[in-house]
Amino acid sequence: ENTEPQRTAFLLRKQWTLYSVTPLYRFCPARLRDYARLLSAFIAAEKQKGLAVEVGVELDIKVAVSSLPDLKGSDQDQAGILVQLSLRSPASRKNSEEKLVWSGWFCCVFGDDLSKNVPEDFTCLPLFLANGAESYTSIVGSWFQKTFDCCFRRLAISPLSLSWMAAMWTGCKVDKTTSAMELVFSVPCLPYPLDISYAIHPEDAKALWDTVQKTPGEITQEEVDVFMDCLYSHFHRHFKIRLSATKLVKVSTAVASAHCDGIIKFLQSQYLTGVLMLLTELAISQIQ
Amino acid sequence: MDETVAEYIRRTVLKIPRDEIKSMLQKWGFLSEKQLQTINFHQIKENVSQDVVQLCEANSADIKQAAVLDIIYNHIYPNKRVWSVYQMNKTGEETEIFDLTDFKKKFKRQLQSALKNVTISFREYEDNAIWIRIAWGTPYKKPNQYKTSYVVYHSQTPYVFISASVLKSNLPLLCQALVLASNYHDIREMELRSHSLNSLKDIVFKRYSQNFQTYHPRPLQERNVAPESTDVRIIQENRNEKERIQRVNREVFGDGPQPKLEFAQYKLETMFKSDPKMDVLDKKEPFRCLVKFYSPHLLESLKALAPAGIADAPLSPLLTCIPQKARNYFKIREKKGLFPGSFVSP
Repeated sequence: ENTEPQRTAFLLRKQWTLYSVTPLYRFCPARLRDYARLLSAFIAAEKQKGLAVEVGVELDIKVAVSSLPDLKGSDQDQAGILVQLSLRSPASRKNSEEKLVWSGWFCCVFGDDLSKNVPEDFTCLPLFLANGAESYTSIVGSWFQKTFDCCFRRLAISPLSLSWMAAMWTGCKVDKTTSAMELVFSVPCLPYPLDISYAIHPEDAKALWDTVQKTPGEITQEEVDVFMDCLYSHFHRHFKIRLSATKLVKVSTAVASAHCDGIIKFLQSQYLTGVLMLLTELAISQIQ
Repeated sequence: MDETVAEYIRRTVLKIPRDEIKSMLQKWGFLSEKQLQTINFHQIKENVSQDVVQLCEANSADIKQAAVLDIIYNHIYPNKRVWSVYQMNKTGEETEIFDLTDFKKKFKRQLQSALKNVTISFREYEDNAIWIRIAWGTPYKKPNQYKTSYVVYHSQTPYVFISASVLKSNLPLLCQALVLASNYHDIREMELRSHSLNSLKDIVFKRYSQNFQTYHPRPLQERNVAPESTDVRIIQENRNEKERIQRVNREVFGDGPQPKLEFAQYKLETMFKSDPKMDVLDKKEPFRCLVKFYSPHLLESLKALAPAGIADAPLSPLLTCIPQKARNYFKIREKKGLFPGSFVSP
């Protein structure tokens, strides 16, 4: 884990909506300034057409596109790319305050499975994360799709993947653990919907996982299944409800939290790369 | 008329659904029928509320009268607030006749001696329910009419329903005033909370259809009930099980509608037990969990779990005991002794 905590601190504790992105055609990492200009013009044009977002027509949107060199896994990975939209108040264009209203970043962390199969003109940045108004995401996404002939799709996270995250993150050593390991289940097909939150004290959850995991540094599907079955049977012992028959929709731990609609929150910088690696894998599966 | 009173009346009227404004003002009785007829209740609510304020101005409304309108609103829409249930205890057997005037006098005196600035309003309803509205101030600040506590006391019972609002620090004072005014000895909070005031009353007054306490297997009986849509894939075995589940559910939940709760919480401090073959955690300390159930109608959704195949029938008594134990917050510990599989809830 060689991510410098300060440089990526701004990524933590924010809610990011996840997308998978197909490889970008003729994307040039040296032309980021040009892209910022072009995207800015695109947004202004969309605003003229009346398709833009904010009510304040006078407000000026400034676009910044930069590189995130620390956000990569192997050397083969393309470095992360960050896009930020800020609002400038009209009073004085030059020295006025800018308010960050939207952020989106592309990354690829150990994405060899994808990049090795792709022709030279293509850049692999299969994972996209957005924070801010959906309308801005839509405009930025449209520009990238038009410009680089790629395709964005919302990345859903299956209950199976959520279980992996629960097991994996429970095992992570965290300095001061005050957050419980929480699983949220939804039972929709009833006359009245039912949601169940099952939160376990982090020390107890880790103690359980530590006895399940046989080889440190390695996790098998079987171990994840045993871990989840233990939690499900403890619950069943008390309530006679079979959680395996319900839908696991959210997992929250001290490391990160993930929702099945494809929403993630990073809580620990030391595990950022690890979580991104898992998400990159999910994005690649969705693309292929 | 005081500006703050005018604003308070305006905001209260704005809360009321437009079709209900006229009848609520009639219940209030502060404006005459003649005055009410001058208001066009079909215009937008902003304008209706302005008209009402103008008429209240003509009648010189004060905060006491405005408070009564607020009580009427909350009595008709109690579900906008969260209610907690308290039970008062008496030592000794004397049953005194309840004296409403005495109660109100003592209650007011208690609060006003501790806090100079407090607005207290009472309204009685037919079912022996006394509604009390309290707007809290401090010795130096006028009462905040927007941060009110509500108390519903059924004088023939030891139960009090309190919607405390943000100012929890005033709760001990409120409880003490209730105890002294009603000639009880002390008061305790029951672990029972919900938005649905009527459901809370149903639970503590045992007004819902009770379930049988134990599960006795009985042979199938003839029923004059039309069969459910016959799905040809349901064979005899499945049908028997389906009917067993329905029957057990009825025994456990009763036949009538369930009281409406939105929430149940269980703090588990029980041991983790697993199949020894699995070679997992075998600690001597409790496996600490916090389980929460949420639903717009919790008991009905729990009742539907077994028929949907998601839970066993009968459902765990931890869940089915909610109405008869009159609580929805629990702390569960392992019961020591002969039956290690059973739980104790203090």
